[in-house]
Amino acid sequence: MLRSGALRLCPPGALRGPRGSASPPARESRPPPRSFASEAIRVDLSLPNPSWSKDMRLLFDQFMKKTEDGSWKRLPSYKYVSPQSTEVKTFFPDAKPVKGADMPQAQLFPRSLEEGRGFEYAMFHNHVENRTVCIFQGGPYLQGASGFLHGGAIATMMDSTLGACALRAGGVAMTANLNINFRRPIPLCSVVVINSQLDKVEGRKLFVSCNVQSVDGKTLHSEATSLFVKLNPKKV
Amino acid sequence: MLRRGFQVAGRLSQHRVLPGVPQVLPRLILTSTFGSSTDSLVSRFCLEKTGLKDYALPNASWCPDMLSLYHELQEKTKTDGWVKLPSFKSNRDHIQGLKLPLGLAVPSDERDWRIFTRCIQVEGQGYEYVIFFHPSKKKSICLFQPGPYLEGAPGFAHGGSLAAMMDETFSKTAYLAGQGLLTVSLSIRFKHLIPVGSLAVLNVDVEKIEDQKVYMSCIAQSRDQQTVYAKCSGVFLQLQLENESPQ
Repeated sequence: MLRSGALRLCPPGALRGPRGSASPPARESRPPPRSFASEAIRVDLSLPNPSWSKDMRLLFDQFMKKTEDGSWKRLPSYKYVSPQSTEVKTFFPDAKPVKGADMPQAQLFPRSLEEGRGFEYAMFHNHVENRTVCIFQGGPYLQGASGFLHGGAIATMMDSTLGACALRAGGVAMTANLNINFRRPIPLCSVVVINSQLDKVEGRKLFVSCNVQSVDGKTLHSEATSLFVKLNPKKV
Repeated sequence: MLRRGFQVAGRLSQHRVLPGVPQVLPRLILTSTFGSSTDSLVSRFCLEKTGLKDYALPNASWCPDMLSLYHELQEKTKTDGWVKLPSFKSNRDHIQGLKLPLGLAVPSDERDWRIFTRCIQVEGQGYEYVIFFHPSKKKSICLFQPGPYLEGAPGFAHGGSLAAMMDETFSKTAYLAGQGLLTVSLSIRFKHLIPVGSLAVLNVDVEKIEDQKVYMSCIAQSRDQQTVYAKCSGVFLQLQLENESPQ
């Protein structure tokens, strides 16, 4: 496995990505260190990169403006869920990196594809209104019916956004139910806005719903309702 | 280039009707609303010698459970009417010579596209799966092994990856059983997490076809059926693909 001296200089995780992609990622330009690269793990991917379209950047700037008064917060997003984090240790005490590997083999699913090819997204949370908004640009590797985003890719992003909303509202929780209605197909490589909000809390149950709209707000692409259940540290 | 009849996929250009295809054939397919029989849809879908790589074949990353169940089902393709579906890198490759109906077709650069469930091509890292379809029973079985790049909770597959696998299995089943093309709704109840690298067996049934919609249900469970990972119902909209106009 190439670590240093790779033909393309890229973050360690990307070395395991699909072969033969055209452009090198713009993020890092030095050889990856051999040891467990905490830097690579902590690269925040919810920030603009060259693959973001104009629409995506505009939306990002609009939401960044909203963070100025403190009501909205941009949520960072990383490629790996570190097995060392307190949350993981509490709920998944058996989780450990694959044996023998210097760096984690696993990647958080929506962050496991190369820049611009899969999920490009950034999430913002409003803790007063318990709302999470995700701006999402789906790349060419998320194809479903020819020219459109795969239903499963939309489901993945909805699950991620609903999950982020549930997490902020109630702590670590798992998806129990997810009900999605698809209204209009989303063209591949376009940008959409996923608006999610916490509807209700009943004990350990968190009811969260969301909709997916076009940038101009005129097209409703899909809607979802979901139930998340807060994890019991002793039970998983 | 054309070798024999309509069974050859002209992969040189996806926008040309296969040269030599008799003109009567396109009209045959479009004769009555959704008149294409499952058998004709299946035979067009499962073209041999397309020159395209079929990803739904065993490789070194498949766990023993997946391999043995695969071989069991392969045997059934000879005796019990099951068909193993090929799986290409792009959905375009499955419908060569056809396109989405007017109003939905989106012309653009397709060279880079990959169907979502084949987005990660490194063996064993992403989706490893194969779908077997039974034309007369209108059922499907999908063997799914999620790799480490599909993680959500540490050591387990992301809920979205299972949702996508269910949507994809529904998609192929709906298409072959009744020309279902676009997802209308998905309703998933997650029960247990799927450990990365283990086998999940998805059983899909077509419940009914009415009002231009295909209704299906799915159970994802472990091979021994002792653990149910999730249950799902899905509805797909029937749409007739059109023939691409000759150059």
